[in-house]
Amino acid sequence: MKCNAAVASIHEYLDGDLTREEISRLQQHLQGCPACSSRLDTLEKTNALFQALPAEAPPSYLSDRIMKSLPKTRRPAAWTSWVRRHPAVSAAAIFMVVMLSSFVAMWNQDKELSVSGDLDHVIIEGNKVIVPAGQHVEGDLTVVNGIAEIDGEVEGDLTVIDGSYTLASTAHIAGEVKEIDRAVDWIWYKVSSWFGTLAYGT
Amino acid sequence: MKPLETRLARLARKGDQRAFAEIVDLYKDKLYHLAYRMTSNRQEAEDVVQETFLRVYKNLDRYDENQKFSTWIYRIATNLCIDRLRKRRAVYSLDAESTDHDGLDGYSMMPSDERTPETELILTETQKLIRDAIETLPVKYKSIMILRYLQDLSLQEISDVLDIPVTTVKTRVHRGREFLRKKLEHKL
Repeated sequence: MKCNAAVASIHEYLDGDLTREEISRLQQHLQGCPACSSRLDTLEKTNALFQALPAEAPPSYLSDRIMKSLPKTRRPAAWTSWVRRHPAVSAAAIFMVVMLSSFVAMWNQDKELSVSGDLDHVIIEGNKVIVPAGQHVEGDLTVVNGIAEIDGEVEGDLTVIDGSYTLASTAHIAGEVKEIDRAVDWIWYKVSSWFGTLAYGT
Repeated sequence: MKPLETRLARLARKGDQRAFAEIVDLYKDKLYHLAYRMTSNRQEAEDVVQETFLRVYKNLDRYDENQKFSTWIYRIATNLCIDRLRKRRAVYSLDAESTDHDGLDGYSMMPSDERTPETELILTETQKLIRDAIETLPVKYKSIMILRYLQDLSLQEISDVLDIPVTTVKTRVHRGREFLRKKLEHKL
């Protein structure tokens, strides 16, 4: 064994990583090499002295100082840690918030009058939609952002979104009358009509 | 059953201050010893220990229970010490003579490190030699040698704490030993 190999072996030995066989080979080298032998000696002494260095004790007030330095409550971290532990639910919740706010934004923007249904039998004046007496509207009538004045007949449902309606004594509505005023109802209406479209294809 | 520290950490996470005080009691001496040997300064050692516990407290939610608690807390403390040593080196060179204070170099301007009677320890000449030799170790060897010989961590644990491969830890332990040997060879 050469000296440079022996030095590497000495460190492996100090790490406790040498096999019995390797130790005896190192021993053989050390017996014939005073330089390596004294090197191991110094290294062992150094390690022993290092380990024997007396521990410095922290001042007695340190524990108190630490405990007093802590923030009073750990609560603020609670929801962030919940988010970290439930990434899928959090993503879904954020998606819902974005969807809802875009729905609301659309609802707020949409201030113009719009009418859908049988337009041949209605009269539109400003934001007023009039079904004159004696007229006969086929199917449903939907009025958005307007006032519906019904003097004649409606075959289907009358739906008023964000508006109002008046029914004359001559009015006749075969289906339901629905009035929708708030964003939530409007969303519900959108969603249910969307499902209705899916189900019936109309 | 989980180890004591892990159970204490879990209680502390739920807001149990007494559990956290127990963690402080379990680790304050070890961390102070580590920080004092790293920084060679009592005030800085105290600050490092306090900052370590503060970070542990704030990040209890992030503590991974599959990891040993000691590995986690040693990592935080060691990194804080290394940061301080690097900053110290970057901000001022201690050997440079200050222009504002005639004849005073950086060493004389550091906070005085007087020993208080209760912590007074009589160091033998040999102990002083080894302490001074450790102080001169380059940072990357210093942290590893202190974890290995003062905190009695295994090479694998040191590798986990510092997040470097075991083979690197091993090489640095060997070089650190040789560094100390050369410093002390003719003095011992």
